[in-house]
Amino acid sequence: IKLISDAGFQGEITSVSTASQQIEVFSRILKTFIKNVVSSSREDQINSLKEYAKMVCHGQHTFVYTATLLHLLEAEGVKLPLVTRLFQEITSVAVQQGHDVAPILMALVRTGTDAFEGNSQTRASQVLSAMLSKKALNPADITTLHKLYSSDDPPPIHLIRIPQFLDLLVDALFKPGMKINPEHKPKYISLLAYAASVVETRKDGEKSLKQDELKPTSQAIERAHNVCAGNKTSAELLAELSSLYHYLRFPVVAAGITRWVSGVVTEPSYFKLSVEQTPIHLVLLDEVVLVHHILHEDVFTLLQNLFEVELEDLEILVQLDLKKMIIDRMVNLVSRGYVIPVLKYMANICQKEKTDYSLVRYFVREILEMVAPPFSKEFMENFSPLIENENITGSMRAAAASSSSSSTSTTAAVVPASSS
Amino acid sequence: MKSTASGREGDTSIWLHNKLGTSNDTWVGGSICSQYNLEVLGNIRECFVYLQPQVKLKLLLSFFHIPCRNADEWHSELKEILELGRMDSDPWVAMVAEIMLPFPSTGSLSEEFNASESSGQIFHLLLKDLRKIIHDAPDGGILTPLESRFLNPNALNELYGPCEQPTAHFKLKRKPKAAALRAELLNKSIEAANQIRKH
Repeated sequence: IKLISDAGFQGEITSVSTASQQIEVFSRILKTFIKNVVSSSREDQINSLKEYAKMVCHGQHTFVYTATLLHLLEAEGVKLPLVTRLFQEITSVAVQQGHDVAPILMALVRTGTDAFEGNSQTRASQVLSAMLSKKALNPADITTLHKLYSSDDPPPIHLIRIPQFLDLLVDALFKPGMKINPEHKPKYISLLAYAASVVETRKDGEKSLKQDELKPTSQAIERAHNVCAGNKTSAELLAELSSLYHYLRFPVVAAGITRWVSGVVTEPSYFKLSVEQTPIHLVLLDEVVLVHHILHEDVFTLLQNLFEVELEDLEILVQLDLKKMIIDRMVNLVSRGYVIPVLKYMANICQKEKTDYSLVRYFVREILEMVAPPFSKEFMENFSPLIENENITGSMRAAAASSSSSSTSTTAAVVPASSS
Repeated sequence: MKSTASGREGDTSIWLHNKLGTSNDTWVGGSICSQYNLEVLGNIRECFVYLQPQVKLKLLLSFFHIPCRNADEWHSELKEILELGRMDSDPWVAMVAEIMLPFPSTGSLSEEFNASESSGQIFHLLLKDLRKIIHDAPDGGILTPLESRFLNPNALNELYGPCEQPTAHFKLKRKPKAAALRAELLNKSIEAANQIRKH
């Protein structure tokens, strides 16, 4: 293995188990995987990232080694979002694999002169570590954290911005079926609002905090939580819609409402019992898409799951109408800039014949009626497999021969350009 | 006396092998830590150099799971074992021990590696290469940190700078159906809210 690696053929070493036994070989492979992540096209980047993280999480020694390297690079601050995500991804995969990485994370938090701030940080990292290890929040530790962050000298904010902790807080407040002791609920809300809204800056080693947005963020979380946890009927939710639109201008509320909607609409009986043409929960997702492009991927993942779910108890025509309604949500995503993943998904299910052609035709028609040139090269490349598919656009071309509707003129604009 | 001590070390070595040396997986949980005490750690220190590399690695990594109060109490014993690990002929054992060396005293990990040591050289070389890969990476992209989705724009901007906007792939000549539905439901929502207030 070392000889193959020395000769520069890192790509040929397919057994991570063998490669991770030698530190020099692992180091070279790590470089190759990180290079792959940064040089992948946007569409392939998530897959490269997952492959890299899986490789690093092969062993605890490879995890600790990589995490230490990335922590030092994070401290240098160059391309910080990228380095942070590389770090978070290995943590996330390790947690998914059932490993307890909380003590390693907390050791890294304490590594670095700027980061260590005495007793309040030590106490905060201890209670966080306990909750992250158990993957569960508890009122006593939340009370301790709340007290620390309400004090005049709170611990650094990055501690409560650890993604696994934010996930637990958002789940506690928004996931259907979660129960929080009402006495402690304001502390959960306050901590989440603090993490989401407070701006912490450092100048010459001095920390300053800007808390202007803390109160409105806290209020929005509380009110949105009350609506979501209130078991409201569709009519009651409709009355709350304009308020909910206001609350979900706050990203943390939008993320929470997306999680709540996800839990509600994936209940097996949801679509059987729903009477509206477009259920109000899905209308809320449209608003999330409209306001927060950073949540597009989460919403799209949910829509894909809903599109692919089997609803055998429903009549075939009802099923088709439901799927068209979900396509309308996907078209909305396209209109707000989440274009290529949706086009690729549609082309893929069409190619694999995983869906009725009439649904893909509906999608194509809706897109054609919405878009106008100039089109990007990527759009052309990804839309043309659908446009050029005779099963999808054959009948539309026939219609174009007898009329000159706007949609068919757009078809004409896309097809010649993509063919050239 | 000496043979009794050797016996204890032999027992410790067999116990560690049975606990930690039976699989190639190096992830280790915290269950073994409940059996550590000053005497056991002393025995581990004596038999450490004779352990298999896999057992040494998992032993060192198990230190992460030692409760704080115990780690404070045992910090000199743990440090002695880590010092032995640093000198180990197995590069992974030496590297992990080097990284974890400050952990028993401060709860943190190493920031500086002695470049004259073999493990230090490997670490610095890789750090330099990764720094270059990161530096040369294109700006922007879709790989945003995971907490970004929860943060208000001002907080996010302070951390990572302005958020990248989606690429424009076409012009919109008509809004999607969702836009008309939004307007319709918003009107109905205001009406419904008024109705509720009246009752």
